[in-house]
Amino acid sequence: MSAAIAGLGITELGKVYGRSPRRFAADAVRLAADDAGLRLDELDGLLVSHGLGGSPGIELAETLGLRDLRLLTAMNAFGATAGAMISYAAQSIASGAATAVACVFSDAPLQPRQSSGSAYHRDAREWYGFGGMTAALGLRSVNAFYALAAQRHMARYGTTSEQLGAIAVSTRQWASRNPLAQMRDPITLDDHQNSRWVAEPLHLLDCCLVSNGAVAVVVTSADRAAALAQPPVHVWGWGQGHPGHRKERGSAFGLSTGAAISGPAAMKMAGVTVADIDVCQLYDCYTYTVLVSLEDYGFCGKGEGGAFAASGALAPGGALPTNTGGGQLSGYYMWGMTPLSEAVIQARGHGGDRQVDRRDVLLVSGNGGILDHHSTLIVSPHRKGA
Amino acid sequence: MDIGILRRDGRTDAFFDGTAAERLMIRHCAECDVHLAPDATSCPGCGDEDPGWARASGDASLVSWTVTHGRPAEDGTVPEPALLALVELDEGPWLYTRLAVARAALREGLPLTAAYVHPDEGESYLLFTERGSVG
Repeated sequence: MSAAIAGLGITELGKVYGRSPRRFAADAVRLAADDAGLRLDELDGLLVSHGLGGSPGIELAETLGLRDLRLLTAMNAFGATAGAMISYAAQSIASGAATAVACVFSDAPLQPRQSSGSAYHRDAREWYGFGGMTAALGLRSVNAFYALAAQRHMARYGTTSEQLGAIAVSTRQWASRNPLAQMRDPITLDDHQNSRWVAEPLHLLDCCLVSNGAVAVVVTSADRAAALAQPPVHVWGWGQGHPGHRKERGSAFGLSTGAAISGPAAMKMAGVTVADIDVCQLYDCYTYTVLVSLEDYGFCGKGEGGAFAASGALAPGGALPTNTGGGQLSGYYMWGMTPLSEAVIQARGHGGDRQVDRRDVLLVSGNGGILDHHSTLIVSPHRKGA
Repeated sequence: MDIGILRRDGRTDAFFDGTAAERLMIRHCAECDVHLAPDATSCPGCGDEDPGWARASGDASLVSWTVTHGRPAEDGTVPEPALLALVELDEGPWLYTRLAVARAALREGLPLTAAYVHPDEGESYLLFTERGSVG
């Protein structure tokens, strides 16, 4: 019994204050069930994913008043969690363990009168141990670790800041057509180049937003989804990849990612190749992760991601529409739910001004940690094999 | 360069005894004869959760680098940028560290060597400088 995404719930996103992550999550699950045309008590599964704040967990079921669930767990593979939740839900549907599973991510790191950067920033006067020394010397933000990855790619393959900038620009072009996106004013390559350095080679416009809010989906059987309120989004394949780059001689850190593992696995399960992918929704915590993911999926050769991104392929009207809602760079930062939610919207044909023409096969990518964890989903508006 | 004050945490006495004496101490699993980073919490080969210590040469090569820029303050002042790096010790493990190297010299594989800083208060720490450079 194959699975399909039947409901999507997106709360208010961005600088939204006064609601806890648990409240956001509960709101998103209610919205997703309502979107599917299901009553809350028709859910028999709930998978919960939280941000770095650690809430909510499985107590969310109680918050929602859900009873007699047959599947309930918290999952965490960081940015790869959304893909992992969908695959677990799909397998539970296939085995008969559950029939309607809500999957939710929620986070609220932003506080009033606080910069987005500081939400993920540490500062101190005294530092403890070896890790403390590393942090004291300046390695204390995720930006720096991704900058090291991007710089290694640049040094090895000749990737340029302008090529990263092309991704920022095309992503904003998409965002300008998405009413859900937080940053909709068009930007130019000059704007990218002139934006302040965060951690060289990353400019401010190479880095994602930080958002409060929650996104949930409801997964059910393809048969049941066909009878519900929304066009079903069928789950054709999934894969994970955890390369285990140890920080030692021979590591491919920064040069390749788990997409090289999860991508082929998901595409094989779905019965497709990269040539069949119409639309990509890639985890874009940084412009660089889009570039390296495109290489690892095989949309271009290793080291050719920069030229591919600069070719215009990713932009509206391009050959491979990518991050069509503005991604995490310009849309909203809901970890792996950002690419997944936009894939659902596009597959349904509900993209409005940003709707792509060809949407038979969509690829959804998740990336967690510092390129440590990866997930891939292949979804489609059509039944697999139909 | 003000980095704050470094304190021991109970797991790194050998490391900070080393920096005080201008020696780079890293973990070494005798059972597996493998070198590990100073903050390794176990040996991936045998699972030993307290591998021993060994003196590293202090020589390394540059894997990657970044210059971090703090957020400008409300008065417009900008914190001093920091040149940070991933380096590969000759023994194999990678370290996150800070460099005292000219920007123009930065390249993959640049030969480096450890240098030590002894602040008035708190533990001594290490940076990496270009190997063979003067000063």
